[in-house]
Amino acid sequence: MIQRGRGKAFAVTTLVAALSMAGMANAGVTDQDILNDQMTTDDVVSNGLGPKGQRFSPLKAVNTDTVKDLRPVWSFSFGGEKQRGQESQPMVKDGVMYVTASYSRVFAIDVKTGDELWEYNARLPDGIMPCCDVINRGVALYDDLVLFATLDAKLIALDSKTGKVVWKKKVADYKAGYSITAAPLVVNGKVITGVSGGEFGIVGKVEAYDAKTGQILWSRPTVEGHMGYIWKEGKKVENGISGGKPGQTWPGDLWKTGGAATWLGGTYDPDVNLLFFGTGNPAPWNSHLRPGDNLFSSSRLAIDPDTGKIVWHFQTTPNDGWDFDGVNELVSFDYKDGGKTIKAAGTADRNGFFYVLNRENGEFIRGFPFVDEISWAKGLDKNGRPIYVDDNRPGNPADVDGNKGKPVVAIPSFLGGKNWMPVSYSKQTGLFYVPSNEWAMDIWNEPVSYKKGAAYLGAGFTIKPLNDEYIGVLRAIDPKTGKEKWRYKNYAPLWGGVLSTAGKLVFMGNPEGYLMAFDAETGELKYKFNTGSGIVGSPITWEMDGEQYISVVSGWGGAVPLWGGEVAKRVKHLNQGGSVWTFKLPKEDA
Amino acid sequence: MRAWSNALLFALALSGVPSEAAEPTAGDPLDSVMWEYNRQIFLADQPYRFDERVLVELPPFAEDPTQVPLTVDASALAGRIERVIAWADLNPIQQIFNWYPAAGSRARLSLRFKVQQATPVRAAVLTQDGVWHVGSGFVDAAGGGCTAPSMANSDPYWESHLGEIAGRRFQAGSASRYRFKVIHPMDTGLVNNIPEFFLQQLELRDGQGSVLSRMELFPPVSENPVFTFDLEGTEGPHRLWLRDNGGNEFERTL
Repeated sequence: MIQRGRGKAFAVTTLVAALSMAGMANAGVTDQDILNDQMTTDDVVSNGLGPKGQRFSPLKAVNTDTVKDLRPVWSFSFGGEKQRGQESQPMVKDGVMYVTASYSRVFAIDVKTGDELWEYNARLPDGIMPCCDVINRGVALYDDLVLFATLDAKLIALDSKTGKVVWKKKVADYKAGYSITAAPLVVNGKVITGVSGGEFGIVGKVEAYDAKTGQILWSRPTVEGHMGYIWKEGKKVENGISGGKPGQTWPGDLWKTGGAATWLGGTYDPDVNLLFFGTGNPAPWNSHLRPGDNLFSSSRLAIDPDTGKIVWHFQTTPNDGWDFDGVNELVSFDYKDGGKTIKAAGTADRNGFFYVLNRENGEFIRGFPFVDEISWAKGLDKNGRPIYVDDNRPGNPADVDGNKGKPVVAIPSFLGGKNWMPVSYSKQTGLFYVPSNEWAMDIWNEPVSYKKGAAYLGAGFTIKPLNDEYIGVLRAIDPKTGKEKWRYKNYAPLWGGVLSTAGKLVFMGNPEGYLMAFDAETGELKYKFNTGSGIVGSPITWEMDGEQYISVVSGWGGAVPLWGGEVAKRVKHLNQGGSVWTFKLPKEDA
Repeated sequence: MRAWSNALLFALALSGVPSEAAEPTAGDPLDSVMWEYNRQIFLADQPYRFDERVLVELPPFAEDPTQVPLTVDASALAGRIERVIAWADLNPIQQIFNWYPAAGSRARLSLRFKVQQATPVRAAVLTQDGVWHVGSGFVDAAGGGCTAPSMANSDPYWESHLGEIAGRRFQAGSASRYRFKVIHPMDTGLVNNIPEFFLQQLELRDGQGSVLSRMELFPPVSENPVFTFDLEGTEGPHRLWLRDNGGNEFERTL
């Protein structure tokens, strides 16, 4: 007997059809969309609100007058028990938000409702070795792909409609200590990524892949002496040794495990067609093992996006002995000097100095401390090289009996005058808004030798606050004079990014859980809202149906709670979380 | 007011599903309450018949609910087999596989899968005339196979051996019979904090790279799955290609 089912179309089929119809109306993200991101207010398609990383939006419906009425419209939970640090910057395109969460997860959310459209959970091996929490800092978008990198050092492209894997590439071996937490950067169809792992004696690198296919295009090591490669018609071709040859600024074989991780990703400036990547600490931390400048550790590198060649470099802490891991983002900006436009770039380093460089050639224009106290250097010379205080370098363990070299108290601490959390540059005020921290450390050196996959530090340390009332300081800094225009002091250390807008506002979250808005000129606190867990992510703003929206992820974590000492007292009561909050003005105000 | 609303809801419910509620098992030899539900999902309104020539071989009791051997054999049906869908009625994820057998080869396949509780297991076989032939089997079980953590969760072995394929070729009459095992956790996503992670696509290709037979796999397929296929009348060496939902691809000459 042949039967025939009663014809009830399966509901999912209809849904799939509806989704694919909706998909047709939306074009994918183009190179032009990414380059214009700062000026196109209806989307956020790059990390940093534009590849220059200024984190400035021309939107002004939410401004110093209206911000008091800002209201949450939805909150979305990442769910599960994976509530660790949430350091992501969301992206928004065609009514969909793409945001990452701890443990290499990606979520697509309908921005009108806060409904989940899909999620992708990377299945991570137990053996991953992130140094500083299981965080992720966000996705890149290109065409109809959502690109992100994982804690086991893979680069993955997901279909933006379904969340299914389109391609996946291994960037490096997680068993050797590599991981990736930064958001990738897309430039002219290439997806560009760095690697983390400077605490494990890895060799830092920057790599470019074809965004649509995942085919590798070039690989540039960031430690002097290592060969770079470029792929021509699928063939791997030698592309010059970084720094020319080994052994110039490193003794013996130490360059082979030299660190200089590119763990924060990079920025791009189309005016000069250069990628800017910061590089982390040289390995191991014990600097007596590696006399020399140890290029290209603790530096900013300008890299040609087409060839992967290093065009210029600027090293902030040569022979770094304090983990002043100078990976901090380099933000392109222009200013006028006697009628002449200077193509500059600003960067606030872990070591406590703010640098203004000529972004065309890497020349030092000026530098100044942006924290209240710096103990390890008396200042910068005319080329921007630090003038060291020799007594403030932790002692050589080889000089003493036993295993521990002479400890010193150094300022800032190894977590830095500023850590990963991105600054904002306002085109409206011409000021940099720098989330910084005031803290010191005891640090001492120990003997160490390299072993694959094991921590490679050769140092011990504790962190302590410099003030009873605060550690965090949000500063408004004039890059032309080094003058601090205003400051906001925060009890817990700041660990989240900053956003400035043409509404004359500066947005930032704090570990206490507040999303805050400040007057960009005066620093007056105009708004705060507690999101229920600490904010260590970066806020964004965009416009939909004529209304301005602001979103930020909430979820306490990152490197701060992993360290004990006196700082732990200030943060141990903070609870974990994992959510995105979205805000707008009530309709009548907009 | 309340009585009126309830009456309205009842009327709506009736009009929405005119007669299915009355007959959930619709001629099912196993009288399963899930028959109609799954039939709608997998066969929709296409013609079908229960057919004892489609053999669904199972042990009477699942000694290990995470590794239940299943053989589907449709070789008694005449003509080309277009497609075979297998599902377990009472699993939280019902579908086990979707298989497009190789032309000219015996439509017989063995693998292992997970059961959550005692359940009917179905194999629906589509012949060239557009009719689905449904074979059924039943496995008794103590349960829990789909919501137990994979062994991989407590042993990092898989991390360094993911996708390794061990295989053998046997002579089965005139056909080559291939049996192979793939190292993979096959996580269902139903265990807290372990994301779904499973082999999703399988292809058997000939020496020129043409696809002879392909399968879509679903999370109920067992951890480190073992597959047995017959291939007939094609030139080797045959290649096996697999891809998981994490985008990992694995390939081996059999």
